[in-house]
Amino acid sequence: MDIKQTVIALSEVSGTSGNEEAAAQLALSMLRQYTPDASVVNGNVIGRFGVHTDGLPSLVLDAHIDQIGFVVTYITDEGFVKVGSVGGIDRRLLPAQPVIIHGNQNIKGVICSVPPHLSHGSSEVLSIEDVAIDTGMSKSELEQFISIGDSITFDVSCRQLIGSRITGGALDDRCGIASVLRALELLAGAKTAYNVTVVFSTQEEVGERGAKIGAFTVSPDIALAVDVSFAYAIGENERNCGYLGKGPMIGISPSLSREISDKLIETAKKASVPYQLEVMSGLTSTNADRYSVNREGAKTCTVSIPLRNMHTPVEVIDLSDIETTAQLLAAFIKEG
Amino acid sequence: MKELLKELCMTDGISGDEKAVRDLIISKIKLVCDYHIDNLGNLICFKKGKKTPKKKLMICAHMDEVGLIVTSVRSDGTLTFGCVGGIDPAVIIGRQVRIGEKRISGVVGSTAVHNLSKEQREKAPTADSLYIDIGAADKSEAESCVSLGDPVYFDSEFTELGSHRVKAKAIDDRAGCAMMIKLLHESLEYDTYFVFNVQEEIGLRGSAVSAFSVAPSFAIVLEATTAADIDGVTGEKRVCELDGGPVVSFMDNRTIYDKELYHLAFDIATCQTKTMIAGGNDAGAIHISGNGVRTIAISVPCRYLHSPSCVIDMTDLQSSYKLVKILARRIPEL
Repeated sequence: MDIKQTVIALSEVSGTSGNEEAAAQLALSMLRQYTPDASVVNGNVIGRFGVHTDGLPSLVLDAHIDQIGFVVTYITDEGFVKVGSVGGIDRRLLPAQPVIIHGNQNIKGVICSVPPHLSHGSSEVLSIEDVAIDTGMSKSELEQFISIGDSITFDVSCRQLIGSRITGGALDDRCGIASVLRALELLAGAKTAYNVTVVFSTQEEVGERGAKIGAFTVSPDIALAVDVSFAYAIGENERNCGYLGKGPMIGISPSLSREISDKLIETAKKASVPYQLEVMSGLTSTNADRYSVNREGAKTCTVSIPLRNMHTPVEVIDLSDIETTAQLLAAFIKEG
Repeated sequence: MKELLKELCMTDGISGDEKAVRDLIISKIKLVCDYHIDNLGNLICFKKGKKTPKKKLMICAHMDEVGLIVTSVRSDGTLTFGCVGGIDPAVIIGRQVRIGEKRISGVVGSTAVHNLSKEQREKAPTADSLYIDIGAADKSEAESCVSLGDPVYFDSEFTELGSHRVKAKAIDDRAGCAMMIKLLHESLEYDTYFVFNVQEEIGLRGSAVSAFSVAPSFAIVLEATTAADIDGVTGEKRVCELDGGPVVSFMDNRTIYDKELYHLAFDIATCQTKTMIAGGNDAGAIHISGNGVRTIAISVPCRYLHSPSCVIDMTDLQSSYKLVKILARRIPEL
């Protein structure tokens, strides 16, 4: 598979939390190349990989399909669209951002920006209640196309940066999906140490809700949450970050299985896959937090792709990290 | 006119770097008028009419747009920038940009919202806290792709909104340029100078020079001006309204406009005026040029001015154009 094409296609399809259908359908069609019986189960895309053998421990590869965005809450008499936020939005960068409202057809708009002569150069940031979208349409025109509850995403396409880096929206966590798909490709035909099931889960950005039911449905012994984490950039605290291009970030945390963390590290060393460590002191704010306490519990770890500018329309990743993350996952699943 | 506007807006030209815009305009007008380029880069065109008026008329618009300029390459390969023209940092953060003639893609990133304190989340960014990331791993990789002084543009699509509105960067003042290009293709009653100015956004500098060399008696400045007719803004603070027709100011921060010309516009067409004294444009330099120039500004109302997402209503562009066309005939008869 072409990793760049795959991640760009995934990043440019919409799927805010609770409205993941379009993104899930695309991910499903991609997943079916490796797990032909994959299907959507209560929103989550679930596929069993290869032949499951009795006696092997079960393992879930999880990546979340949803992205942050907004939801339509109201249309004013003047035709402005008011919104609520879905997931953690950085409101500082909203003025004059182009967006797409996903109604019965896609409607493009711009987030209203108060001109400087009214703000008097003040440094106040829009509250979400004050966010309004300008679509160029009147209320009655709009009502033919959109309804309250429709989802909204930033209107952004991916761009190639220097070298192997790209920018786009929703790379969190579509690059995780791409990485899982690539791992399956690397594993094709190989014997695995686990009975592997893939879960592309919904509603991570609003509290890992899709993973809660996905974990219950699949009930794995081991779970790897393939998500993104902070890559160092100006303004970030370097000691809490990984680096772009230096490989997957293996999680170590009291809430994760140290046994799995150590095995991942060992696997990376053996397979000569570059890796970084991400040490956390409690919960991980990823789907790992759900898998670990599912049913009787699961041995869980995070494998994270470093990403800059998280939750903005200009997220940045290094494509090489998708490949090395996939290599690590594939080696881990092969070796056990 | 929409296609023409699109072509103009998608062409890049910050103040001091207007060549690409000027070349595009020349390609559109070279067969219909005489023209020359002055020392600053202003494009000065002259078109014969049926008659030569006793007093010279000049119509002008500016070619430059607001943007950024690369000021240094840091050791980590990121770029610092300065703002060319007045830009709110809130419309710089979290945007895609493109740099220089090679149109290298970059982004203006920001600390992940997860890692901001509650106070930081409510504080608007300052321009000097922002930087451009082109994906370079270090300084030398960045320097192989960009140079100091390279212009930086918003990577913003031209998008139609609803049935007659459009969103783009640089509508200020490519809307004015579009009207002039169209008018240059009409047959005119009176000889007219058409000037496409440089460096408006950094202080009305091109127009100071071109107004001196053309030395007109009358000037019509074509512009795009702030409309704040958005949600939650009421009364005079809306300033002017989309779909309200051409905006004719009596006064802004740089100019008190000629009263006879102001009233003439309202006699000719359904116009609106600005309900706040705000902004300024090339009229500020032109009306006090030489012995003084009787000046009127006709502006297309524009939301989110100086952002990557300016929005105008095409009906306003059409009605402004019609007004200018009539003024070009009526003013020389005053």
